[in-house]
This record gives sequence, C-alpha cells and structure tokens, in this order.
Amino acid sequence: MSKHTDKPRSNWLIAAFLAWIVPGAGHFYIGRRIRAVVIFVTIGATFWTGVAIGGVMTVDRRYEPWWFAAEMVTGVHGLVGWQRSRAEYNKLMREGRIEVEVPLGTSPKLAERMTVDAKLQDKALVAPADTIARAYSGVAGMLNLMCIFDAAVLSAMGLWGEGKRRAAAAEPGGGS
Amino acid sequence: MIAGLFTHPVNIDSGSGLLLMLPLLAAVAIVYKAIRVKDIRKLPKEVAVLMVYMVLGLVALGVGLWLVQEYWP
Repeated sequence: MSKHTDKPRSNWLIAAFLAWIVPGAGHFYIGRRIRAVVIFVTIGATFWTGVAIGGVMTVDRRYEPWWFAAEMVTGVHGLVGWQRSRAEYNKLMREGRIEVEVPLGTSPKLAERMTVDAKLQDKALVAPADTIARAYSGVAGMLNLMCIFDAAVLSAMGLWGEGKRRAAAAEPGGGS
Repeated sequence: MIAGLFTHPVNIDSGSGLLLMLPLLAAVAIVYKAIRVKDIRKLPKEVAVLMVYMVLGLVALGVGLWLVQEYWP
C-alpha cells in the first residue's frame, strides 16, 4: 500500500475535546498545524482582550450565566478567567460587610448584586465596558465552538492534513 | 492603566465602543477563514476581503436602521 494513503487515524471525540480544552489543538491533532496556530492565537487574544477591557469580573457565573456559558467554550482560557473571578469574589466575601442602601422593593438577588458591586468598587463592571468586554470573551467562545465542530467533523470524515496533501494522495501512484 | 489591565475595567466612552468592534470583526473573519479556506496561503487576502464585506454590511445596516427610525411615520 502506498505510504500516501496511510494517513494517521484520528478519533473525532479526541479531536473535539482537544479543540475545546485548547483552541486550535483539535486542528493540530488532525494535522492542520498552521490553522491550529492561527486559531490558538486569535481566540486566545480575543478572550484575553475582553478580560483586559472588563477586568477580573468579566467571567461572572453568578450574574451573567449566558455570557459565562459562552466563555467556558474557550476551554482553558475560560477556566482560568473563572478561577480568577471566583478568587476575587471569595476574597470580597471574607472581608467585612458593607452596608448598602437599596430601594424598597428591590429583589434579594439585585440587593446582593448591589452589595457585591459596592465591595468591588473600581473592579465592578459597568456599561459600556461590560458589554464590550463580554462580547469579546463570549464571541471567542462561539468561535471556538465553530472550531470544535470543524475539527470533529473533519476527524469523523477521516480527513487529515491540508487540502493539497489529500489531493496528492488521490493521484495514481501518489505524489512526491 | 497597564497595571490595572485584567483586574480593573477600562473606562470606555460610548463613541470608542464602536471602534472596539473592529478588532472583534477581525477575529471573527480570521477564525472563520482559518477553518474554511482551501489554501492556507490565501488566508490574509480572504480575511481582508471578508472584513471589508462585514464592515460595509454593518454600515449599510446601521444606515438603514437609522433611516427607518428617522423617517418611519
């Protein structure tokens, strides 16, 4: 059998998992190395630009669950961002209480959020920075979702490497 | 300001918010073309073309929506 038809086997589940945990790793696994580097750099830069704009509370599971879900699709980036915001939140909760005046009729959840924001002070995320910051970090997650699907589908189809290599392998006698 | 990055939010006025959408559009174009382009050497050109289309499309959408809200009875 020609060596050009012996392409490495890849498992689509592994490709999908790798693509999630480290953006670009799924494409690296299926032999698309340059694309893997481009994806890794772009998605990482987009996510951390969002955190740079919004600060440590950009990844916020308690008060922004949908953005949080999108941010978690970036894998290790989202997990590190979440860990940092959790550490900051827990540190604030251990400090002394701050009394905040809330209007009558305010829901307990909103009152809690107002108290947390008062403790956060200059780390609290407000408009318009919150929208832009979470747009960056959330869109990074959605882009990685697209990459996860792409890597998984290519792996499931048994495709490996860049397009030109596959075309060469299909020629009679294989390419050079 | 640099020392506060990643810890404190950046103060952004509403005008520069729109400009900050441009790098986001670039990221979308780069990642989309990175997985779709057949020849990786054509990636920069295809990303540039897609970005132009996206910016023009968003500008057209913005103008259209402005016209609607301005002149719709």
